[in-house]
Amino acid sequence: MSSDRAMAPERIRRVALTVNGEPRAIELEARRTLAEALRLDLGLTGTKVGCNRAECGSCTVVLDGRAVFACTVLAVEAAGRAVTTVEGLTGPGGLHPLQSAFIEHDAVQCGICIPGILMSLKALLDAMPSPTEDDVRDAVAGNLCRCGTYANTVRAAMAAARELREGAAA
Amino acid sequence: MSEPRGRLLVHGDVPPALGRELSVIGRPIDRRDALEKVTGQAVYSSDMVLPGMLHAKVLRCPHAHARIRRIDTSKAAALPGVRAMIGADTAAGWHTYWYMIAQPAFPREIAYAGQEVAAVAADTVDIALAALQLIEVEYEVLPAALTPRDALRPGAPLVPALDVERPREGNLQQPVYVRERGDVESGLAAADLVSESAFTLPTQFHVDIQTRCCVAEWDGERLTVHEASQGVWNVKRELAKSLDLREDQVRVVVKHMGGGFGSKAGAQRVVHYAARLAMLAGRPVRLELTRPEEFLSHPRRYAGEVSMRLGARRDGTLTAIDADVLLDIGSGSLYAGRYALTLHQIGELYQCDNVRVRIRAVYTNTGPTGPQRGVLDPIATFSMESAMDDLAARLGLDPLALRMANYAERFQGFDAATASLPYSSKHLDRCLAAVADALDWARRDEIRDAGRRGSVRRGIGIAAYCIERGGYAPFSAKADVIARPDGDVELQAGVVEIGAGQTTILPMIAAEELGVEPSQIRIHHGDTDGTHYAPSSHASRITSEMGPAVLQAASLVRQRLFELVAPRLEVSPHDLIAADGRITVRGAPDRGMRFEEACALIPGKELRATGSRAPNPDDVVFRGFGAHGAVVDVDVETGEVRVVRLVTSHDIGRAINPKLVESQQVGGAVMGLGYGLYEEAERDRKTGVLLNTDVHQYRVPTSLETPPIETRNVESEDAFYPYSAKPVGEAPLVGTMPAVRNALRHALGFGIDALPITAARVLDAVSARTRADAG
Repeated sequence: MSSDRAMAPERIRRVALTVNGEPRAIELEARRTLAEALRLDLGLTGTKVGCNRAECGSCTVVLDGRAVFACTVLAVEAAGRAVTTVEGLTGPGGLHPLQSAFIEHDAVQCGICIPGILMSLKALLDAMPSPTEDDVRDAVAGNLCRCGTYANTVRAAMAAARELREGAAA
Repeated sequence: MSEPRGRLLVHGDVPPALGRELSVIGRPIDRRDALEKVTGQAVYSSDMVLPGMLHAKVLRCPHAHARIRRIDTSKAAALPGVRAMIGADTAAGWHTYWYMIAQPAFPREIAYAGQEVAAVAADTVDIALAALQLIEVEYEVLPAALTPRDALRPGAPLVPALDVERPREGNLQQPVYVRERGDVESGLAAADLVSESAFTLPTQFHVDIQTRCCVAEWDGERLTVHEASQGVWNVKRELAKSLDLREDQVRVVVKHMGGGFGSKAGAQRVVHYAARLAMLAGRPVRLELTRPEEFLSHPRRYAGEVSMRLGARRDGTLTAIDADVLLDIGSGSLYAGRYALTLHQIGELYQCDNVRVRIRAVYTNTGPTGPQRGVLDPIATFSMESAMDDLAARLGLDPLALRMANYAERFQGFDAATASLPYSSKHLDRCLAAVADALDWARRDEIRDAGRRGSVRRGIGIAAYCIERGGYAPFSAKADVIARPDGDVELQAGVVEIGAGQTTILPMIAAEELGVEPSQIRIHHGDTDGTHYAPSSHASRITSEMGPAVLQAASLVRQRLFELVAPRLEVSPHDLIAADGRITVRGAPDRGMRFEEACALIPGKELRATGSRAPNPDDVVFRGFGAHGAVVDVDVETGEVRVVRLVTSHDIGRAINPKLVESQQVGGAVMGLGYGLYEEAERDRKTGVLLNTDVHQYRVPTSLETPPIETRNVESEDAFYPYSAKPVGEAPLVGTMPAVRNALRHALGFGIDALPITAARVLDAVSARTRADAG
């Protein structure tokens, strides 16, 4: 990921945050975005950057329960907060129902937008266990998928929501 | 379904039949690469970090047409942290390659706003960007030709084509293609009605979500490039030629790739720059395009204007097809000689003895053009299929009936040798019937009338397509299958997984031939080391070109295993079958052994066989066919177009994996909707600068615009393809736009003939019509 900007004086900040349930502390330049911090400082390259200006949604992560574009959140803004990335979606018990539903419903093609879409949907399902199909479409409306998997995304999300509800009820 | 393989296109003997029902082919199994992708473990070239890696940035010219008078890189070179530079001052005589066509790497005369002038590799991105600001360039700004009409005017500035300089008289690319059969003028004279139509189709950008990114390393002997390309072998050959290396000195690796759609079929110029910089610096170099750079510099779809005249008798029989096509190939089609061919299909979709297609391709100062999903098929198909609906309306005929009345059973070419040839198979009639059935076509006028609410009008449209697919020269695809004594089976295929399922489909073929589960087949792919040549994953060609090679290789391994097993079972190898993970005596399933036990009989380290694709025969024509249907609502007061429903039927032969086929179809249709309704380049008319180099203002479809898309595929046998699996990847885009346009025509009673059909265009068309009716 490269960001086009002129050289600026470096101002180093120490940022402590929780990433995928683990406390992490990073020293970074104040201008570093959350996406850069995740990818370059923490090596979590599952978060992708397709435009670096909040247009394509591929960098979406969950920050304190909300889906955000990590390319337009500064890492310093995430201090003291909890970030979940696609790497954190897989739990100790295996794949998250969203992940297995994406495989089963073939909501994945080239895969570059998938981490962002999964995180948009993770935020949705955490807040809204019984979404309608339109809720799902709205939740991923900021995630571009040029392979055009949207229909399968909706199917997969609805299936995952069902499974999560059944799991919660059991 | 039986399994005809009598005409399978391989060198040597056609593999023997399996002698049993298919057990893997046709199963909707999950794609192999999905697990890595949903867990974030899939590593793309943009995710790679190598020790000592430098970062490269490219200086681009802001003018649409200019000459570099002076370039001074000395200040930039002196900046601490700058490790290597190349540019118009130092790279005279150096060429990059695209489809093996030479292009000056840094020409002194600039062909478009955004063209590369220099590239810098530095310790950080910031230093590289600072260095670009220190490069002094003095331009002589020249008048630019921004449209084909401007470029064809007498005295128009000569566009400096990107493909290697050849002397040119003007901006019209030579030769002008004219393909003709029969006598169009007498065909038109014999018509009861001559229906004229004219269409304008814009360019389209790929907008692959992973921008081009490569990491190149040079160890003094060998160049290794981690790429985002659709074809490792194409890139290898292009780089070797450009950098004057032996082919074995270049290794290209692509394990995952974030969307290509044609833009990444070959190496592109920036990949050459990264490689050259790595060789100069002696350190790995990473070069990643930003989203705006991707818009500016990568070869986008051709734009076209098409004038059509269809002559027909009252009963709808076509007597003449006359098409005049003006293509905007920008600053170089980079695809010389091929671009015109797809347009011949204007003369192929229907039976007609008098056809003339004239194609003029014109250079403009608007950046490179090149293949994009379907290449030129959208222009050909949109024009022909829209013109057919115009004709149907003027004759008072049903558009579907008009199509069937002119149905072409056989291929009609443009010369004596190809005047009448068979297709490998063709079931377009069944596709049209399937779409018509899904749409309740017979009741379409009732449905239109019932769908009218306030200012909203509803319409139903249909369109057929015929695209040239099924393998291309050089027809030298090869694959290896290796069985080892421990039961390991490896498929080595030099293909790239672009998200279409290449690494799922090919192991399924090997598994079917060996009678094992697909998960038992490992695949080594996306790497020029350890593989033979394979075509790029483009042009819908992997299953039809690599499929036969994989099938043959696996079949040869099976036959060799049979020879090892037969003596143990005291039978002839011909008596054996491979199924369910076992090799057994035909008719006596208890007599046999597990596949792994058979592998244990392999002498030495491995049992390896190579499969090799043979060329397509000349006396059979290979095409993809299908039909689309659309139900569309249009609001005549706001201009809003809403696609209510899309139906697609493809002449699939047989789906190796129906789940993946459906994904290709739906995805192609979504991209077609973008082309038909939303996507449009905005270019400053004075300067030629592209204005919407971002995905907010260049609008690709999102989840909100995507309607329900149904697939009604038609299965059949085709002995030329592996298990009858015909190509599918690009075709589903092609029928979308004309189906939507024809639905709008049905709704409104008149056609809208320029894409994209935005709300503004609908309102313009509605008010023009209202004025015409009033006047």
